[in-house]
Amino acid sequence: MISPLRAARGGVALAVFVLALEGWARLDDHLTYGAPLTGPYNAEILYTRDTLGRVGKPHARYRKWGLNEAGFRGPELEPDRLTILAFGASETFGLYEDEGQEYPRQLEHFLNARIGRDAVQVVNAAYPGESAYTADVRAPEIVDRLHARVAIVYPTPADYIWLPFLKPKPAREGAAKVAEPFEWRIADRLRTFLKGILPQRVQTRLRARETRIAESGFTVMDRLPEENVRRFRDDVAHLVQTLKARGVAPVIVTHANLFGNGGQERDRAQLVAWRKFYPMLREEGFADMERRMNDALRAVAAEERVPLIDVAASMPGGHQNFADFVHFTNRGATLMAQQLANGLYPVVENVMRGPRQ
Amino acid sequence: MTSLYLWFLFGLPALWLLARTMRPVRGRQLLFLAASYAFYLTFGWRFFVILIASSLFNFVWGGVIRRTPTARMLWIGIVANVALLSVFKYLPSLASVFADSTGLAARVAHLALPIGISFWTFQGLSYLFDQYRGEQLDPSLTEFLLYMGFAPTVLSGPICRLPELLPQLRHESRATWENVVAGARSVWVGVLLITLGRLLGGGWNGQGVNWGFDHVSSHLPFGDTWLLLIGYGFQLLFDFAGYTRVVIGIAQAFGILLPENFRRPYLSTTPSVFWTRWHMTLSFWIRDYLFIPLATVRREVWWRNLMLVMSMVVFGLWHKASLLFIVWGTYQGLLLLAHRLTQQWQRRNGVQFSGVMGSVSSWAITFVAINLGWILFRARDWSQAGDLFRSAVNPFASGASVLPVSFVVLVVGIVVAYFLIEGWAERKGESHSLLARLPIELRFACYAGIFYFALFHTAEPQSFIYFQF
Repeated sequence: MISPLRAARGGVALAVFVLALEGWARLDDHLTYGAPLTGPYNAEILYTRDTLGRVGKPHARYRKWGLNEAGFRGPELEPDRLTILAFGASETFGLYEDEGQEYPRQLEHFLNARIGRDAVQVVNAAYPGESAYTADVRAPEIVDRLHARVAIVYPTPADYIWLPFLKPKPAREGAAKVAEPFEWRIADRLRTFLKGILPQRVQTRLRARETRIAESGFTVMDRLPEENVRRFRDDVAHLVQTLKARGVAPVIVTHANLFGNGGQERDRAQLVAWRKFYPMLREEGFADMERRMNDALRAVAAEERVPLIDVAASMPGGHQNFADFVHFTNRGATLMAQQLANGLYPVVENVMRGPRQ
Repeated sequence: MTSLYLWFLFGLPALWLLARTMRPVRGRQLLFLAASYAFYLTFGWRFFVILIASSLFNFVWGGVIRRTPTARMLWIGIVANVALLSVFKYLPSLASVFADSTGLAARVAHLALPIGISFWTFQGLSYLFDQYRGEQLDPSLTEFLLYMGFAPTVLSGPICRLPELLPQLRHESRATWENVVAGARSVWVGVLLITLGRLLGGGWNGQGVNWGFDHVSSHLPFGDTWLLLIGYGFQLLFDFAGYTRVVIGIAQAFGILLPENFRRPYLSTTPSVFWTRWHMTLSFWIRDYLFIPLATVRREVWWRNLMLVMSMVVFGLWHKASLLFIVWGTYQGLLLLAHRLTQQWQRRNGVQFSGVMGSVSSWAITFVAINLGWILFRARDWSQAGDLFRSAVNPFASGASVLPVSFVVLVVGIVVAYFLIEGWAERKGESHSLLARLPIELRFACYAGIFYFALFHTAEPQSFIYFQF
């Protein structure tokens, strides 16, 4: 029989163990990334909100992701270069690539190599979770501030699976600041660690279970409604019109994914992983969604008479190029940047020859 | 790495519960054998087949030697084992020289080294030697297969001997809670050492010993060179000693005591003492089965000295078939010889270096000599070894330090902490008890730190340094 005193000491020791783990995690973050020892430390510290919605904080840094003076991922901007904006979401912002390997950085490198000097800069105007709609809201401010002349539009179709997601959240004037709940940094690390050691099959089952639980809050669809595709198409078209109205040459880029051209469901586990973020659409609906959304992008390009770079058709899928369902590996980002550089070079050449605004 | 973690998290507790409840000794032996083979199979079935073949051969041949204990029978056994080892360990290096010319050579050059082969082949050899010497060993096939393929030791030792292991395998289950606690402490210490080794290797931000050897090892100033060498010496110690401590702890949880492999080697005051504290199971193997039998063949002193150097050459060759390792072994042999000759000279002339000064200078010479030897152990080629050696012996090699401050702080911090903690333990005559002496709350905070860094800073798929041998 364990005495109450011994049990209490054991309990205290266990609590010390957990608290010390959290302390070690914070110390590690502090020493490795210069993270604050107290307070939250997650990707949200990169952003703030203003009347237009989400905006990058100048010089904010979270792990490998760092923003420049202007609040965009990448190096500081050079005033004398032709500015190309890259609109998109996490695929453009870069998640899995090493620092400096995200496709906008590589695109800048390829374009300058082709031009023969450092003539252009590609501004990564994307952030994770950005939609064509929020990009459209923010675009005039960015264009005016950076005097951009070319823009790549690489929107994420999945944002339009559930239209209520699209509502932007501008800051409310005078709203009281809500206290952040305590953040267990060790919990996030353990989750990531477990993800790394659990066999793929077990992970897929866990994700499927999570999705089943989340399904209850939605009407589950087999196929994306036509209304959503139309909304996507309208938002992209409006973004293109906004850019054109401000003298920017937009270039639309179709959306590539792990499953490659044709959207075959070769990797069920990745479809399950993808669906976890959008439980309202069944796995079978994703390939169809990508196909229809890319058709919509092609149609917008034709209607608006803007160049289209069809990476969805030309980019090979597979795990060498994609770290998950849509996010690039270093190699994938290189391929993407090469294809964009090929398609973009004539546009850039044309703009550089034209009068400077 | 994934399968190793899964073994740790789920396999070991399940196995322990089974071992605890299983009464018949034979049943438990079969359980251990099945678990050991399942574990080894995760590294590939080809390796497994080689392990089985080696085990069966040694079991059968050991019986032959027991019945006919002649030198000829022993030699056949030795040649067969050395041949097996050579095919996988030495032949590929040799074949790589001719790899361009013939298809067969190219195939041989790419033969994968079965993990742990150097360790379990030496276990097989020691069994043959013991049988030849007339030791009373009568293992069953299951017991012998378990001795050769025992999961905790099959990958990287420690090199066991059947007379030590057999009685423990035949004993009733000792998988007790007390043994789990003692084993867990050993595992914690091991994990801490491994973590420190990985930290030294990778540095805090990727600029550690590995980076130093790969990027900046040529034309280093004197101080940088020694920091790099000492850093590597400690990386090697922590990596292997930590691994061994984990293995010993796991076996202890099942009630099986494995031999120690390291005992504060950097506190050694002579090279001879060093080699009784560093990779002890291999060192003692070489002493008992190679040096002593060879040295006693002739009475002359020169012969004994030659055999001392030759034994250390074999020690070097055991690691890798490369000239660098042969020279490293020779260097260690010459160090031992120099120590022996110095002792003889002191005795003849009645000279004694006693007292603190004598001990400190003796320790300093040993420490410097051993660390200088790591150049040969770590250098990727002769050119790098030459560069490092020139910088290490030239205190006037000038130039600004190229090692980052974080590296200097890391190495100096770890080395100072090592000497403080291990020096204290050596004086007190206690082993690995510092953690156990702390109050439980502080101890758990330390355990949390070890757990954290082990999980998140050593979880990268890096292998242990000694897995390549």
